[in-house]
Amino acid sequence: MKDLRIVIKVLLVEKKDIFLSILCGFIAGITAVALFSASGYLVSKAALAPPIYTLMILVASVKMLGIISALSRYGERYFSHRGTFTMLSNLRVSFYEKLEPLAPGIFGKFRSGDLLARIVGDVETLQNFFLRVFYPPIVLLLIFFSTIFFTSFFSFEVALILFVGFLLTTVLVPSYFALRQSKFDRKVRESRAALSTEVTEFLYGFRDLKIYQQLEGKEKQLSKSTVAYLQEQEQESVHNLFSQAMNTFLSLLVTVCVLAVGSYLVVNGELDGIYLAMLVMVSLTVFENTTSMAIFPSHWQDSKQAASRLHSVVRNESIGKTQMKQENFQTDIAPKIEVRNIRFTYPNDSRQTLDSVSLNLEAGSKTAIVGPSGSGKSTLLQLLLHLYSVDEGEILLNDIPINTLTEESIWENANVVLQANHFFYGTIRDNLQLAKDGLGDDEMQGALSKVDLDHFTLDDSVLEKGENLSGGEKQRLAIARAMLKNESLWLLDEPTSSIDALTEAKIYQHIFSEAKADTVVLVSHRLTGLEKMDQIIVMDHGKIMESGTFESLMERKGYFYEMKKIEQSVFLGG
Amino acid sequence: MAGLMAMAKEQKMKMILIAISAALSGLAIIGQGYLFVQIVDRIFLKDNSFSDIIPYLLWLIVALFARTFFSYLSGRTGIKMATKVKADLRSVLLNKFSRNPMQASLQGQSGEKVSVMMDTVDEIDSYFSDYIPQVIQSTIIPIMLLVVIFMEHATTGFIIIITAPFIPIFMMIIGFNTKDKAEEQLDKMAAFSGKFLDTIQGLTTLKLFGRSVEQKEEIRKSSLDFREATMVVLKTAFSNSLALEFISMLSIGLVALEVAIRLIIFQDITFFTGFLMLVLAPEFFTKLKDLGSAFHTGRGSIGAAKKLERELEETADLVVFGEESLSKEEPPLIELQAVSFHYGEDAFALKNINASIRPNEEIAIVGKTGAGKTTLLHIIAGLVRLLEGKIMINGKERSHFSEKDWFGQLSYISQDPYLFSGTIAENIAIGRHADASRMEIEQAAEKAGLTELVGSLEQGFDTPIGEAGRGLSGGEKQRVAIARAFLKRPSIILFDEPTTGLDLQTERILQTSIKELSKNSTVITVAHRLHTIQNADQILFLENGELLSTGTHDELLESVLAYREMVTVQRGGTVQ
Repeated sequence: MKDLRIVIKVLLVEKKDIFLSILCGFIAGITAVALFSASGYLVSKAALAPPIYTLMILVASVKMLGIISALSRYGERYFSHRGTFTMLSNLRVSFYEKLEPLAPGIFGKFRSGDLLARIVGDVETLQNFFLRVFYPPIVLLLIFFSTIFFTSFFSFEVALILFVGFLLTTVLVPSYFALRQSKFDRKVRESRAALSTEVTEFLYGFRDLKIYQQLEGKEKQLSKSTVAYLQEQEQESVHNLFSQAMNTFLSLLVTVCVLAVGSYLVVNGELDGIYLAMLVMVSLTVFENTTSMAIFPSHWQDSKQAASRLHSVVRNESIGKTQMKQENFQTDIAPKIEVRNIRFTYPNDSRQTLDSVSLNLEAGSKTAIVGPSGSGKSTLLQLLLHLYSVDEGEILLNDIPINTLTEESIWENANVVLQANHFFYGTIRDNLQLAKDGLGDDEMQGALSKVDLDHFTLDDSVLEKGENLSGGEKQRLAIARAMLKNESLWLLDEPTSSIDALTEAKIYQHIFSEAKADTVVLVSHRLTGLEKMDQIIVMDHGKIMESGTFESLMERKGYFYEMKKIEQSVFLGG
Repeated sequence: MAGLMAMAKEQKMKMILIAISAALSGLAIIGQGYLFVQIVDRIFLKDNSFSDIIPYLLWLIVALFARTFFSYLSGRTGIKMATKVKADLRSVLLNKFSRNPMQASLQGQSGEKVSVMMDTVDEIDSYFSDYIPQVIQSTIIPIMLLVVIFMEHATTGFIIIITAPFIPIFMMIIGFNTKDKAEEQLDKMAAFSGKFLDTIQGLTTLKLFGRSVEQKEEIRKSSLDFREATMVVLKTAFSNSLALEFISMLSIGLVALEVAIRLIIFQDITFFTGFLMLVLAPEFFTKLKDLGSAFHTGRGSIGAAKKLERELEETADLVVFGEESLSKEEPPLIELQAVSFHYGEDAFALKNINASIRPNEEIAIVGKTGAGKTTLLHIIAGLVRLLEGKIMINGKERSHFSEKDWFGQLSYISQDPYLFSGTIAENIAIGRHADASRMEIEQAAEKAGLTELVGSLEQGFDTPIGEAGRGLSGGEKQRVAIARAFLKRPSIILFDEPTTGLDLQTERILQTSIKELSKNSTVITVAHRLHTIQNADQILFLENGELLSTGTHDELLESVLAYREMVTVQRGGTVQ
């Protein structure tokens, strides 16, 4: 509920659309009631053979009410949808505003991109909040109270019945079903998750299942999960249907009560018979509006969940980043970096990723960090960027502890290529221009040619996440982008893992000629082309095994030498 | 839609039940109108006493109950129908996938298949649970209403008959003309909504380049563009329903007018008839309006149905096995005779492979990336069906032997072994059927160098791994796969040798393990290590899906130019 309040706050910015939706919705509903009550009155009046002009007036007003009702229904739909989409836009922006300062550290919490997609889906889900949860009850309330007010002029008893019916069909019964709904909802989600896991394992693990003769058992298990999921789904649907039917029946029953009480009053002379048909029509029509309440519980539930998931993402901000960060890191020349005895464990991981790591990178030095996958080499680079904070020890940039620096100022001064580099929907130019303001086309085209991407023009389009680029092309584009930034600190995480050896060598040549005076840290899983590095740091299991120049490491015949020997014997065959 | 309709027709009984429910609920609607009018008429004009109308009131409650009950019943039947269809679809898909998922996993489409199995099947739901019951109701009930209206007062019937066709005509003018345009807009909408996800996913990159703040305006702008595009589509939909509303208003208004004039001027109908018309006419139009909204729901399922159809069209070939048993004691003689295989038309193919693998031999499959090495391994494993040729085991076609026996003596150690959600012990035990004792598992784990890792874990062998459990590094996964092989003691080992990235310890374990395992078995390796190749009894040298040559390392160096070139290029850059 607290989470929804935040959503409501964002929502209330669009006062005009909200007001217009409610107004139009009210007019549409109330004129429909008026229309049917008038026609009920009309036919009763007609039965008494009245003067023709009263009839003309009635018919004319029936017509007019019909037109007004239809038009305001249109208006209601128009304004409510427009308001919803404006609100969606505000919501996205407000969520982005909250998420932006937490990135990129917060992404460590998400294991996969799917979760991210779900968050985006949650924002979409909230579009139903205004449309199905927020304003329909207000409209309903207004219509009912006006109708009850109107009816009370004719019969207090009928008005009372309508009021009780209103409470029953819009408050009591829906909330009873909503309560049960949440139980079904949970079960459906659980059984769905179970099935999804089974399907995933079945498809991804097929080869191993087949060879180890476990396929049959898995298939059976999967079929069982399918049945379970379908059962839960069916139960939920039937439950929803039942709650709708229940509501319809109740509202029809109210009309019967209106008819019975009305009849009784007419018989006893307390109500003019001419109004009986009208009151019945009023009751029938006004309860048609309550159908929107039948879907209210499920949308309410969805909205609540979506809102709370969204806020749980941005709520626990700055875990592990609780330092004061006032200082800005500024450097025009290559910085030096010192790492003192750091330890680091990823949140929610029991295993330490880095264990007492210390190193010293002189200004303008070129360092390679190598090691098998899972050795912690990329983590070390990410800590240098302060994407995460160390658990123990400290990292000094130009003798300033990294904790006291704003992250933005560190990133501003670094040319970074990470393992996963994001490319945006747009053109090559759009994606390169991220690097720096005021880049000329020549400059960008030059950078492309340095990374051997001459075959692209700046106007070539890039699809979402660079889907239309190969792995190697993406890496080269990322390198080009980093080159264009032209700062004096380079942090490169396996930038060429998908690029063939020949092109790799060529690109490294360009990088090192541009970075002549700069400090360079290169994480690499390949051991080729490291001969010119000032320092090679060899890591395994979160520890530094050894470090030194290529020659000294080869002479020592230690870990690096062994790795090199294996690499030499690896027969990639192209 | 044809496919979905056919599926619906298969469940004839349920369709009939829905139709009967619709007819009964139509009757109830008519009864309800009749009773309402009857009661008002008796009280208002006929001066009946209250007790006179009590039976009518009771009947009215019955009618109302019947109305809601039968519409509930028809909806419920629809839901049951949907469940049945979804269950059938999933089992057909499962059947399909279990025959041929190798291709999917090789083409990296496993994720897509998961989503077909989960989401696409669920999207079919509304067609059966909403659309079909609605269509049946909206066909049967208006006709029933019309019949009653004609019987009571034909003029009202004529008014409706004349005005109602305007609804589809109007819809056609407004709706269907813009249908293509609307679909085009929908594509745009999808692109817009992707923008937000794109930005969020790229937030790290944006921040590293100091561009994240300005993206806020971009998001706002694209969201508002999205709004405009959506509103264009929605406006069409809204004008549709506006038109519908106008026409029904017009029609009902005309009915009211005609009734009033008859009542007053001509005085040739009763109040009862007039009021009944006024009650029934709106019911007629409400049902028609429902049909309109049902079409919307139905449309959503069509895309899903098409996707499923495509999925089910894909051919699946099952590897054939027989009944004969295969001895596990001795590794068999494996012969490939003119074996060919390809993944679909125009796709990569292996052509005419002939090879003979003697018991206990060490075989290295060598070739450039994309030469077909892993595919050959899959063929030997019996995971994919041959297009042509035969695989002979001990001189007999493999299809004679039982699947259980064949896989029972086979281990496959891939570059990326799959871990199932379960404990470490369970993941090792999958190497054999559930009969492995804890002792045997621990021994296998020790041989695979897992003891240290397991010892460091709080729950030891009972630590959950896989999907929902703890992640293992590449080296650790390899070791689990090795442990599986030690437990199984196969006579044939298929090994996709890792390239780089493994830690030295795992490298050593792999080497010694394979050596030990190979003592009693045939080892066929997709080789990436020079020493593996040098030690092989026989090298299968592949190029572009063809077996260029076979022989030992020295023989090939001498006789095959392409092989020599490949090896020298490889050795070129090395120190030593």
